[in-house]
Amino acid sequence: MLNVSNLRVSYGAIEVIHGIDLQVNQGECVALIGANGAGKSSTLKAICGLVPATAGTIEFEGQDITNQSGHSIVKAGITMCPEGRQVFPQMTTLQNLRMGAYPRKDAEQAADVEEMMDMFPILRDRAHQAAGTLSGGEQEMLAIGRALMARPKLCIFDEPSLGLAPKIVAEVGETIARVKEMGKTILLVEQNSAMALRLADRAYLFEAGEIVLSGTGAELQSHPDVAKAYLGH
Amino acid sequence: MRLTALTAAMVMTAGAAWAEEKTLDIGVSDALTGGGAVYGLPQTNAVKLAAKEINASGGIKVGEDTYMLNVIAYDDKANPTEASNAVRKLIDRDGVKYILGFCCSGATGAVASFIEYEDAVMLVGNAAERSITTREIPNLTRTRPPADYTGAAAGTFVAEKGHKRVAVLGALDVGFYASYVDAFEKELEKAGGEIVSREAFGLKDRDMSPQLTKIRGQEPDAILVVGYVEPAAFIYRQAVELGIDVPRYGFTSGSEDQFTRVATSEQMEGVWDLRPTELTLLSASENGKAYHANYTEEFGIAPSPSSPYSYDQTYALKDAIEAAGTVEDTEAVAEALREIAVPDEVVMQYLPVDDKMFDENGQAYTSNGAFQWQGGNWVFVQDLPSDAAAYSAFLSTLDD
Amino acid sequence: MVEVLQQIINGIAIGGVYVLIALGLTTVFGILGIAHFAHGSVSMFGGYLTFFFVTSWGIPLLLAILIALLVGLVLGVLIELLAYRPVRDANHINAFIVALGLTMMVEGINLELFGHEQVVIPTDFSRVFNIGGVTIPELRLYVILAAALLIAAMTVFVERTKTGQAIRAVAENRDAAILMGVNVKTIPLVVFAISTALGVCAGVMVGSLFAIAPGIGEGLVVKGFAVLILGGLGSIPGAVVGGLVLGITEALAAGFISSAYKDVIAFVVMISVLLFRPQGLMGKA
Repeated sequence: MLNVSNLRVSYGAIEVIHGIDLQVNQGECVALIGANGAGKSSTLKAICGLVPATAGTIEFEGQDITNQSGHSIVKAGITMCPEGRQVFPQMTTLQNLRMGAYPRKDAEQAADVEEMMDMFPILRDRAHQAAGTLSGGEQEMLAIGRALMARPKLCIFDEPSLGLAPKIVAEVGETIARVKEMGKTILLVEQNSAMALRLADRAYLFEAGEIVLSGTGAELQSHPDVAKAYLGH
Repeated sequence: MRLTALTAAMVMTAGAAWAEEKTLDIGVSDALTGGGAVYGLPQTNAVKLAAKEINASGGIKVGEDTYMLNVIAYDDKANPTEASNAVRKLIDRDGVKYILGFCCSGATGAVASFIEYEDAVMLVGNAAERSITTREIPNLTRTRPPADYTGAAAGTFVAEKGHKRVAVLGALDVGFYASYVDAFEKELEKAGGEIVSREAFGLKDRDMSPQLTKIRGQEPDAILVVGYVEPAAFIYRQAVELGIDVPRYGFTSGSEDQFTRVATSEQMEGVWDLRPTELTLLSASENGKAYHANYTEEFGIAPSPSSPYSYDQTYALKDAIEAAGTVEDTEAVAEALREIAVPDEVVMQYLPVDDKMFDENGQAYTSNGAFQWQGGNWVFVQDLPSDAAAYSAFLSTLDD
Repeated sequence: MVEVLQQIINGIAIGGVYVLIALGLTTVFGILGIAHFAHGSVSMFGGYLTFFFVTSWGIPLLLAILIALLVGLVLGVLIELLAYRPVRDANHINAFIVALGLTMMVEGINLELFGHEQVVIPTDFSRVFNIGGVTIPELRLYVILAAALLIAAMTVFVERTKTGQAIRAVAENRDAAILMGVNVKTIPLVVFAISTALGVCAGVMVGSLFAIAPGIGEGLVVKGFAVLILGGLGSIPGAVVGGLVLGITEALAAGFISSAYKDVIAFVVMISVLLFRPQGLMGKA
């Protein structure tokens, strides 16, 4: 479904992604793991059109989407739930959810809002509250709900557990598992390797802008290099 | 169009055939843009009109020579710095010795402060700040009388109408408007009246209803509006809108056009303007009517009431140069200016002091008139009780 | 009491004009972080244009306003595309200089096309209503109503339409808005078009109720920014509250304290508010 080949990304003169290949198949949950600064988030940003790719191609459902503008990639069916939640702080929970459906023109948007609120009951309680006043965990639920509102074919989660209390991290994990059960294709970036590899069907290990290892979630979980990567050596 | 050009060419070649003509550059420093342009632009036009007429009737004769006038006009935006620059440019770069125009007091005062040391003569028009002629600058004259000369006459007039409680709304941060009100108050108090409130507005203000609301609460038996035409027109309109129905007096010198653009003629009905007897069609002399017609034909718009101040300057300058018999010796021309009688061609009605147009301060005096808005026009009703000789003597005692 | 009410009514009309100017400034600032100084002059251009249509071509007032509005929409788009977009990714000082240059240019165009004399858009509304001693001229009433209508329309647009929500979203978090599928290249066009159209409305109001003349637009934009700071940068409710507060404060100051210092007093009120609420009346800390 998503096919990234020989992707290179630079910030100014500094190249941070040195030609990587990765695939995500329909219905899969794929995790990208690695230490901070290994290039996971830059890869995601390149896929979503937030930073330009200097070389390589990104194909989605057979179409070349390399260096397309961010909004047309959303239209193509890729939605990202960004690192740090990035909710719209002064808009209400409800408005944030509706914002998720921005590119949609169908009549089922209101029903989807209801569905999200059933899925995350706390959001119903907070419906008319400014999103900035929600707790970190609530904001994460909102960000996930907002991403799902686009009815994406591929849903990308960037560091969903970052900065959350351990109890909430577990909740987030359960939520992503539920999203997976809904049949969505998922690309997950996590520093919390244990959670990521438990959820993932397959995973790629990043190190200094390159993919050094790939395999099923179970394989990587037991691989000695994974532990090494997370210790940052 | 082609015919006019042809005629002009014929006149010029015919002229050149029998006499050697010289050109005398005269300068104009005046507000051509910005808030002061309502006064400055018509003044500049008036100088151009006078110069054209003088040229058409043979120019200025000095001995054997005949001088044709050429007008160089710069925009001083009514701003002191810009005016100083404009005059410097005229004197230093263009070699001009005679500078006319000057509609607005701030800019004029700045130039007046250094003109005494220049080889030039300065003729001030519409600027009304008194201090311009209190220092007896030998190479400066002014056609418009100071504001307080008119203010005193206005105060007497309003007191004679029996008003005791007058509310003032004026551009009081402008010196000459404040001095008009001061002189007005002095005369009003002599008759037992008082000014019950002094409200201010700025040049760019167009909503004076807050001030008028306050005035309405004080229940005066007359209001006095002192300031530039454009905001003043709004005051008259908003006073009616707020239901203020006491007599409205003013000192604004605006044309009918300038007022009807803002207020309806009904809203203006009965408003008094107490000011120097400037140009209005109904009061105008033969000169005034001709001026109005020629100006309108030349520029496609009616002249503003105060524009003849600079038109008259041009003729005063012509007479002075001819009397002095020189264009080079500015001292002689400046002296001659203070000696000439009122020229025949002037539009305003000057009250000569000792038979001379300008007194020893370089100040000319016009009669002051009470004009009233009646059925869409400013109608001259009567002369205000003004005393040019007494004021001239008073002015000579001041030296700030 | 009548006098206080009268002063409040006096202040609401000009306050409404301030709101419309500030709404344009605040949305532009929210989206692009630009202090769009030329806004006042462009607004006055709209007023001049309406005047020109009515007096020179004899177009009925409402139709003339409508045409001026459409011109405003197009003008807004052009300003964004030609003036601000090229410096979008450059240092902020560039946009600042563009804004100043644009102001001078538009003022110059206004002067060249429409002259230096004040211009009043002619209307037929000269009735005056008197309610218990409080007088309100018909035209003033219409201006207040029109301003209220436009503010309401703007609020509905921003709160209830997808485009409006996208404008807010871009203002609050540009990157997240891109992830929602918002085209961040077209949103500034929409913002400038709407802002300029609102400005044109303000220009028409100033031009019919008061007058348009050189320098009036620049004066208004200064008041507009004062409203922005008073209400909270980038906040739409802040612009509404701030504009009305400034307008009414000016009227009350002129009526009850001193007309000579009415602008000073208005700014003193502004500074006092900011001492206690540095983020502005409706701004978020």
